[in-house]
Amino acid sequence: MTATLRSPRVIAVEQTLALAARSVRNTAREPGAWVPSIIFPLLMAAIYSAQFARATALPGFPEVDSFLQFILPAAILQGVSFNAGEAGSAMATDLQTGFFDRLAMSPSGRMSIFVGRLAGAATFSALLAATLVVVFWLAGAPVKGGVLAALAVVVISSLLALGIGGFSLAVGIRTGSTEATQAMFPLTFVMIFVSSAFFPTELMTGWYQQAAEINPFTLIVNPTRRIAIDGFDLSDFGQAVGVSLLVAAVSLGLSLMAYRARLRRS
Amino acid sequence: MSAPTVQRSQPEVVTGVVPSLPVFGALMQRALRRFVRIPSLVVPTVVMPLFFITAFTGSFDGVSRIDGYPTDRLVNWVAAFAVLQSSAFAGIGAAAIMANDLENRFIDRLMVSPLRRSIVVLGPLGQAAVRALIPTSVVLLVAVAKGATLPGGVAGLAMVYLGGMGMAVVMGALGVGVVLMIGNIRAMAIVQVFGFVVLFPSTGQVPVQLMEGWLATVARYNPATALLATTRQGFLGPVTWSETWPGLLVLVVSSVLFGAFAVRQLQRLSR
Repeated sequence: MTATLRSPRVIAVEQTLALAARSVRNTAREPGAWVPSIIFPLLMAAIYSAQFARATALPGFPEVDSFLQFILPAAILQGVSFNAGEAGSAMATDLQTGFFDRLAMSPSGRMSIFVGRLAGAATFSALLAATLVVVFWLAGAPVKGGVLAALAVVVISSLLALGIGGFSLAVGIRTGSTEATQAMFPLTFVMIFVSSAFFPTELMTGWYQQAAEINPFTLIVNPTRRIAIDGFDLSDFGQAVGVSLLVAAVSLGLSLMAYRARLRRS
Repeated sequence: MSAPTVQRSQPEVVTGVVPSLPVFGALMQRALRRFVRIPSLVVPTVVMPLFFITAFTGSFDGVSRIDGYPTDRLVNWVAAFAVLQSSAFAGIGAAAIMANDLENRFIDRLMVSPLRRSIVVLGPLGQAAVRALIPTSVVLLVAVAKGATLPGGVAGLAMVYLGGMGMAVVMGALGVGVVLMIGNIRAMAIVQVFGFVVLFPSTGQVPVQLMEGWLATVARYNPATALLATTRQGFLGPVTWSETWPGLLVLVVSSVLFGAFAVRQLQRLSR
């Protein structure tokens, strides 16, 4: 009888996929983790589009069919933030319950645990973004550029999830506390508000406008919004992907440092 | 031969109920001391109002340029919204204290004491009202720094504090009731969602006449709109009874309803 030998790389990929699937399954099984990611952005979008409908006629406001169309990237950003933040909380829960230690002692690859969690967050965020795009389309605010533009928005959302998820993982791994990880959410919320997500920076004034213009979220939201409103454009896609990757590089660097420190301790 | 009669002891009538006012004062002080000693409770109480007033005025600065907007300074309109939002958070803090008291069984000790049940609920609510002074003052300071005017004078200022403290009591009562019903701190998330769902579809950021569709109808009949009008009136002009009584009514009715709900949950817990 001959045993089939598989390469360690294949095994690592399989383990990562299995852990990512576990992450997606766990999130899906816990409505408390994903329902707010859909309900809150939709509620905000519904309220703001009725509240600020007349603002679209202001000089300096981007040309849009409706405020609902303008706010689509903000809704996705908000949903992804809610959802990606769960990656850190889930990791903290694994640390608290001892599941992380059991995984670390098992012959599974160390990086698979880390990458699996992030891949799960990115996958769920892509599903979330796709759902929001469909809901907005049904509500009369479709992505104008068709399927290609909609796919671009979903891809950007997944990359953004890596960035936000990375920060949340860094806190979750370092503290091992779900409360501390969840306390990070208001910070993300502030970052979203001080950006062009809900209102164009052209209509802001003073230091707030300056802060909003250099906010990485603005640098991601603006090109994503142009893709949603005007159609797919390679330079816009490149900007959104580039900034998202930059944010992800910083946050993943921080979370990897925390992860390695945790592995040394366990 | 007659069956022996069993002498049933009559339930003892409790006559020595502890006077309520000192107990209320002691419970409120205890809650306030705990609040001051825990930085994780103090920091959000200061930071959240700072964020609300800065974000509402900064992000939506251009809204005041829409034709028909009631004031040329957005801060005069949204300061009341920031006061109520941040005071709602302060009120929900009362629920956190109750959840903590449930977990460390302090409530059990109170329940076997000769106290009126309502005092157990009123203690954290008194703390919530006092705590609301912080976010209300922070919002006022930032609003003035951003150019807010208060033509309503002292009466207008009093309306701002009334709105803030009242909102904290209302949300605190609801929060305490829900925590007692569910039995743990996770209940606070429900109250936060409730606060969001009630406060956002109101005239917090724009008046009803500038809204479109369903929101205009919801905002018109939303009780938060009346409370906002009462709280805001001093920023827009002199204080009038016609702008004051609807907000007062909302505060009184919702405090009584949610307070009764909280006391009922406490009684259910003691059975």
